[in-house]
Amino acid sequence: MTKKKTAPPKKQSGQSSHRHTHGQGHCVDLLRQLSAYIDDELPSDICREIRRHLGACPNCEVFIASLQHTVTLCRHRPAPQLTSVDRVNMRRAILDVANAR
Amino acid sequence: MQEPDGFDRLYRDHVDLIYRYAHRLCGETESAKDLVQETFLNAYQGLKGFRGEAQISTWLYTIASRACIRMRRKRKGEPEHELSLEEFVPTSEGEFRLQIPMEGLSPEEALQNKELRQALDQAIEKLPPKYRMALVLRDMEGLSAKEVGTIMGLNERAVKSRLHRARLFVRRELSARGITHHDDHKSGGMRS
Repeated sequence: MTKKKTAPPKKQSGQSSHRHTHGQGHCVDLLRQLSAYIDDELPSDICREIRRHLGACPNCEVFIASLQHTVTLCRHRPAPQLTSVDRVNMRRAILDVANAR
Repeated sequence: MQEPDGFDRLYRDHVDLIYRYAHRLCGETESAKDLVQETFLNAYQGLKGFRGEAQISTWLYTIASRACIRMRRKRKGEPEHELSLEEFVPTSEGEFRLQIPMEGLSPEEALQNKELRQALDQAIEKLPPKYRMALVLRDMEGLSAKEVGTIMGLNERAVKSRLHRARLFVRRELSARGITHHDDHKSGGMRS
């Protein structure tokens, strides 16, 4: 049996070539898998499918870039350091409480 | 009294790690110090029973995480807010395309933008604690999903689910602020 080729969606004037279907379809499926995609945890065929979708969907491309930026910023968020005085004082306080029990 | 040498070594080798974790969880210095003290007090009392089944850092992270939950319950007692995936589905084209100003910058340079840094801190602080814990352990402390699961008492699937929601939450908070590029990074170090 031969598969019928489906006609490509007609472009509507004044709109982007990719019609976004928020709340349904590919974009929402993609949203569910973005962290796994960023963390490289998905099988290669699904990654290929996602890359294909991203190539055709500027909105999802921007969305995934912003999620990737979020993860990068979290990974590089600076953490404060303890001073040596704090280290000594806290150790003393811990041992005082422990020995009093 | 326990073996002070063993405790001293444990404290010396891990206090900075646990303080960093505590500060990331609590978001401020005094609560972080309280959490560190509570963690090492519990570790002091449990050190004899530690059999080395997990890495010592994983054991300490677990103690700190439990202590954090206990301390928070004492202070507040309000139920945890659940994040549903549906709330992160953009409902408009504009919402989908919100951006975070990082293009062409290294993460360190981007974080010199004071507005962006504050927005990131506030977004993490606004996260419900169980999501914040997953995000901090995985994306900031750099642990694997399996290690995070051991610490939080969850399977890997649940860890990944919480992490994903936490990242989507922070992404939405950051991009909704409409922060734009500016030249903080060109003028030197951090200014908070």
